[in-house]
Order: sequence, then C-alpha cells, then structure tokens
Amino acid sequence: MNQGNQKKRDIMLAVLLFILLGGVFIAFRLLAFKDDASMAYVYYGTSSDPIVTIAFTEQQIIRHYDQDTPASYEKDYPIIDEDNQTITILGDYMIDGIRQDVVIKYDFAKKSVQIIEEQSPNHICSREGESTGWPLICLPNRVRVEFVNDQGDFTV
Amino acid sequence: MTLLANFLAIAIVLNIIESAIPIIPVPGAKLGFANVVTLIVLYVYSFKDSSLLTLSRVILVSLLTGKLLGPVFYMSMSGAILAIFAMGFFRRLNFFGVLGVSVLGSVFHCIGQIIGGYFVVGSTAIVLYLPIMLFLSIPAGVVTGIIAQRFLKIWQTWNKDLQ
Repeated sequence: MNQGNQKKRDIMLAVLLFILLGGVFIAFRLLAFKDDASMAYVYYGTSSDPIVTIAFTEQQIIRHYDQDTPASYEKDYPIIDEDNQTITILGDYMIDGIRQDVVIKYDFAKKSVQIIEEQSPNHICSREGESTGWPLICLPNRVRVEFVNDQGDFTV
Repeated sequence: MTLLANFLAIAIVLNIIESAIPIIPVPGAKLGFANVVTLIVLYVYSFKDSSLLTLSRVILVSLLTGKLLGPVFYMSMSGAILAIFAMGFFRRLNFFGVLGVSVLGSVFHCIGQIIGGYFVVGSTAIVLYLPIMLFLSIPAGVVTGIIAQRFLKIWQTWNKDLQ
C-alpha cells in the first residue's frame, strides 16, 4: 500500500499550511489597519443600518433608532451616557432567560472603542481590548462595532 | 448500530467536556476532540454514517447546553457540515492519510463557521477573524488526526484478533 507516501504527504500538508496560514495571520495583524478612523458604527443583529454612530472627528454620538426590545425590559436601548462615555445595547445572550447588557466605551481623543462589559461564554470581544480599527464582534450578543476611515463617507 | 450510538455518546461527552474546560490560552478555541469520533466513523464505517453522527452530535449538544437555534449553533452547524463534506471528499480522494484529512477538515470547519457567522451578524467584518482561526486550526487538526490514527491502528489489530 501507499501508506508511507500518504504519511509523507500528510506531514508536508500540515507543515506547509501551518507556515502559510501563520504568515497570513501575522501579515494581517501587522498590515490590516491604519489607526485613523473618522467614525465607528455600532450594529445590532443582522441589520446593516447602524444603531449608533460614534463620530470621532465631530466628537458626537448619533443615536439612529431605538433598539427593538420586548416591553419587559424597561429601559430604552441603546442607552447613551455622555458623562461616562458609554453606550449600552441589549445583547442577545441570556442568563436565566434575561438578555444581558453590552456596554461600549468610546474615546473621542484616542478615536478608540472598547467593549467593557458583556456576558458571553468566552468574552472574545471584551478581551480584544481597546480598538482603533479592528472590528469588535460579539457573536453571542450579536453586537458589533465597525470603524470607517474613509473621509469621503462623512455625510452626517 | 449499537456501536454507532456508542460513538455518538462519546462524541457528545467529548464535545461538552471540551467546551467546559479551556485547554488553550486563546479564548473560544477548541481542539475539536469530538472530531476524532467523526474521523474514526468516517474510516471505519462510511461517509453517510459519519455525517449523520456529526449532525446529530451538533444538534444534541446544543439541546443539552440550551443553545439550540442560537447564534453559536448556526456557526457550529455550518462548520460541521463543511468539515464533514471536505473530509468525505478527501477520504475518497485517498491522496492524504488520516492526519491530512483531519487537518483539511479542521480548516474547512473554520471556513464553515465564518460563513455561519456571516449570517448571524450580517457583516463581512467577521472574515477578519478567519486568519487566526485558520492558523490555530492546523495544530488542532494535527492533534485530532494523530489520536484518530492511533485508534484506527489499534482497531485494525482488534478486528484481526476477532477474526
């Protein structure tokens, strides 16, 4: 049988893929983003309309529409707290049947956004820390923050 | 049939234990031990049995952990479907051994997960997470591949003894 050949090919495949994908990963982290966003969009669910826009250059927060939340959640999401520089969205992740808050902190001067509080199994989005270009995606909560650095897009 | 049911039970237990214990420092990344069972069934039985087992595993685990039809469920489902088709294809191709098939399955699992993730959050930004996932998937695929390879070797000697 050609099991010896297969074994060689297996090892070659694993090594080649490891080097190739490792290279892609490093190149991505190093080159992917210039840290110069003019604004950041906060999205909820599959919607392509941002629920909140954080305009760094104009130093303002634009609340586009109310989050569609069941009546049992008494607050009006998204909650914008200008004093603490936070935006709170109602996430999808539930604990004991209650949906949990996702708290996003923004900084106009640093042009950065950070997810400071959320509930999820792995806390992937809050572990990303402060971001100035890399999108923050919280899948279990279906909340995401994406940056825009195209000045021409600035129509608000 | 009884043996397949046993395999399914093992896969479910592996899957649940694995998501409860973070083995790797990277959050959310798993070795995919349950895929060892998928691989074994693919080699010992058939593609049909293996795909049925894997799909039942994903559905049953999400039922047991209360995540059925949640965002993570769609990602595991699409990942599992793409992975099992890729592994079935490369198994038939017979160009690579168990280890190679495992690595390729692992890579396609990530791609499937990202496709599922795209539909969950409706944003292509999720593709940016693909490089790190693919990179981590290689060692994970190697580990599961080695375990499956060892098992299959022992399995063959058992079969000879029985006959």
